Amino acid sequence: MQRSSWLGLAFLSPALIVVLLFFLMPVILTGIFAFTNMSTATGVKGGSYVLNASSLRALTDAGLPDVTRSQIESAGYRVDERGLAALAEAHGQAVAEEFSKNHAGEVFTKRRDVERALKDLSSNPIRKTRDRKAAADLFKRSILNQRYETLDAFEAALNEAGIPKPDRPLITEIAYTGWTWTTANFDLLLSLDSTWQYAKNTGIYVTFTLAFNVVFGLFLAITTFYLPAAQATAFRAIWFLPRILPPVLYIVMWRWFTWDTGFISTVLSGFGVSSKNWMLDTEYHAWVTVILINGFVGASMGMIVFSSAIRAIPASMLYASEVDGASRWQQVWYIILPQLRWPILFITSYQTMSLLTSFEYIYLSTDGGPGGSTEVWALAAFHTALNNYGGNLQYGLGATYALLLVVIGVLASLFYLRLFNFKNLLTKPRIEG
Amino acid sequence: MTTLVSKLRQSTAAAVLTLAATALSGAAVAKDVTITVWAGGSNDSDAYRWEAIEMAADILEREAAIEGEELNITIESKGQFGNWQEFKQAVTLAAEAGTAPNIVVTSHLDIAPWSEAGYIVPVEEYLDLDAWPLNDIYPNLLEIAAFDDVQWGLPQDAESRPFFFWKDTMKKIGYSDEDIAALPAKVESGEYTLQNILEDAKKAVDMEVVEKGYGFYPRPSNGPDYAQFYQSFGGELIDKEKGKLVLDKKAMEDFYQFFVDAVAADVTRKNHLGTDWGQWYKEVANGKAATWHGGTWHFGRYAQEGNQDFWNTIEFSLIPAGNEDGRANTITHPLVYLITDNANDDAEEIAANLVKIASEPRINSLHAIQSNHLGISRQQSNIELYANNRWADEATKRLLGHANAQPNHVNYGAYSEALFKGLEAAWTGTKSPAEAVEEVEVQMKATLGDELIIR
Repeated sequence: MQRSSWLGLAFLSPALIVVLLFFLMPVILTGIFAFTNMSTATGVKGGSYVLNASSLRALTDAGLPDVTRSQIESAGYRVDERGLAALAEAHGQAVAEEFSKNHAGEVFTKRRDVERALKDLSSNPIRKTRDRKAAADLFKRSILNQRYETLDAFEAALNEAGIPKPDRPLITEIAYTGWTWTTANFDLLLSLDSTWQYAKNTGIYVTFTLAFNVVFGLFLAITTFYLPAAQATAFRAIWFLPRILPPVLYIVMWRWFTWDTGFISTVLSGFGVSSKNWMLDTEYHAWVTVILINGFVGASMGMIVFSSAIRAIPASMLYASEVDGASRWQQVWYIILPQLRWPILFITSYQTMSLLTSFEYIYLSTDGGPGGSTEVWALAAFHTALNNYGGNLQYGLGATYALLLVVIGVLASLFYLRLFNFKNLLTKPRIEG
Repeated sequence: MTTLVSKLRQSTAAAVLTLAATALSGAAVAKDVTITVWAGGSNDSDAYRWEAIEMAADILEREAAIEGEELNITIESKGQFGNWQEFKQAVTLAAEAGTAPNIVVTSHLDIAPWSEAGYIVPVEEYLDLDAWPLNDIYPNLLEIAAFDDVQWGLPQDAESRPFFFWKDTMKKIGYSDEDIAALPAKVESGEYTLQNILEDAKKAVDMEVVEKGYGFYPRPSNGPDYAQFYQSFGGELIDKEKGKLVLDKKAMEDFYQFFVDAVAADVTRKNHLGTDWGQWYKEVANGKAATWHGGTWHFGRYAQEGNQDFWNTIEFSLIPAGNEDGRANTITHPLVYLITDNANDDAEEIAANLVKIASEPRINSLHAIQSNHLGISRQQSNIELYANNRWADEATKRLLGHANAQPNHVNYGAYSEALFKGLEAAWTGTKSPAEAVEEVEVQMKATLGDELIIR
């Protein structure tokens, strides 16, 4: 490669790093997460090995022999030579001897019982709770409720507890608390009715909002074009407000506007219309609100792009058309719109992509309600993976939703490329060729 | 920005702890510890959830001083989270990032998944459960804060979730004062059921005492409350013997049908779910609804909303039985203090001791009375502040004896999410109750697998 190419690459590198970190990595991670059963309970970073009452029940269901089960259950805290020697080392021979005299050979099921026994020693020699618990642990022979961070540690513990070798693989498998690879997420998604509902909702959301964005953006651009400059700027600034307002504030205003006790209800109550929640009354109300909320934000972007594109049209063409006696409507139809083809295509495809993945305004306004009727795909992914009442975050399942969205996005891009024939749009003008 | 600040704080705390630990290995030098407390589901009146820890810190410092150790504890608390969703998201992600707060005040239902994930450590690792004040806490509450025979947390408060009647409306539809006063007992005995609620609510709407949709005005979002209605129709949440969650299809369908009937009778709005909480509280506190349900802490909230005369305006009872299969019931959903896994065992020990001291009857009574929750230990009935409070006293007597808690099970979150989704679909008419139950079954089977028993 030439030196100048390297230089170009070097100049590009910050952008490349950003793309890699913030665009590519999330997609790759989503792809990885989608094939796991990651959730709050499994954690993200990997697991440890724990045997507790729940896993023992699961083990029994999975066919663990009763002998092994009771061996695990009954190990408890054993007052044996080994424990007593350790106790003698930690707290002196006298303490160990007295404890041995009272309890040698006994098996306690719970540490609390050992602690009580230690407290009962004459003059209660171990006076700190933490020390007493540590002393009790010297007798622990049970592997229950103990967290082993590595497989080696767990296997060593199984070995020491004398668990029969043939049972160990099953025990290890069930005791593992971390995530595992699976394709079950995809099966689950496809088997749920709600998945299709989310897909349908997304279709409604994208189609209507997109249509509103483009048509209303065009309308604003064209109408303000014919206004005197100062007025046009003022109008554009007003229509630009939804985009520059912080989303939360914007939605709070919509809520005031549509709530039972809000603006619409208050005004209409003067005309005898009973007050209702204009945002959530029925799913139609919810859809209209959602589409308007997102539509106004999107339209302002269309407006800016279209306005500048219209200004790029040589004024002489418009003057000439006026000389020829064209009406405003004919100007729009025969001169302005044909020249806006490229920006319209750009806005359409760009907005499709961003609408597919956007959910923040829906989240803040209807949160998918009423009854999940405005729950779009991206919002479902967010709710599943990161935000629900029970705190039951199913990262794996949520990522599966997101991954499918990525696939749909890629397919839609290819579709647009083909439909609008971007290649032709990009061919060099013949006059300069 | 806040994450950055909290990360900085955490790392400062860690550095301070390490320094303190190093210093301690030499001689008894001052030990500075910063303990962070996050409390979910809290509003202003719940401030003692973290202020109790501040009081405990003062006591622990004094105890340490008497033993010749200079201990300086700084408590950093945060109780303002948008809602439970955001709180749980924050804690879970912080725990994954290794920046979890030392003490978390949260639902007891988080114990199972968070212990499995290794986010929390059992308080029994550090506390003597036979010592005061832990030996005075009600055993059933301690059990709710335990999972798989391990004491993971300590109960922070108790509550239960009653059904409410607006007295004036009941009178207008033909109840006498004596009839209303007899309602709680009738509900308890199963004589007055959810079907009677529907009838009375319909009467109130038809007679235009309340507006359409305000005959029965349920909680507007997901919560433990809905499991109560499942129980009202005979549903069981867990098979205790087998330790598995239970989907009773008939009870679930009957429970969904009740809400569908309520919508059909115009006593409940079809789009009710998602109503703003602020609006909801204001409406029920001031008699816009005939019947509704809530929690013991609503007592204080209604006063804030302008109803200073609870006893003369509102009657409360258990959640009525739905049919002959079910029973009148109420769910208690205690919050618990949990200690998170920390690189520094000393910090864990200090945190555990703080929650222990915060559980002192006198300190806990401050929270119980200020926030209208119920106490956690026996001796609170000997604390005048608590014992002389009419609400705490009557609510305890009328409700707590019949209260059960939702099960601590790793998959209960998924279970309750599915239960609510099905309810939402049936309620809003997206699906018939039978179809909704079918989808719940598919969802539960897939997410719970062997951990589910279908009846």
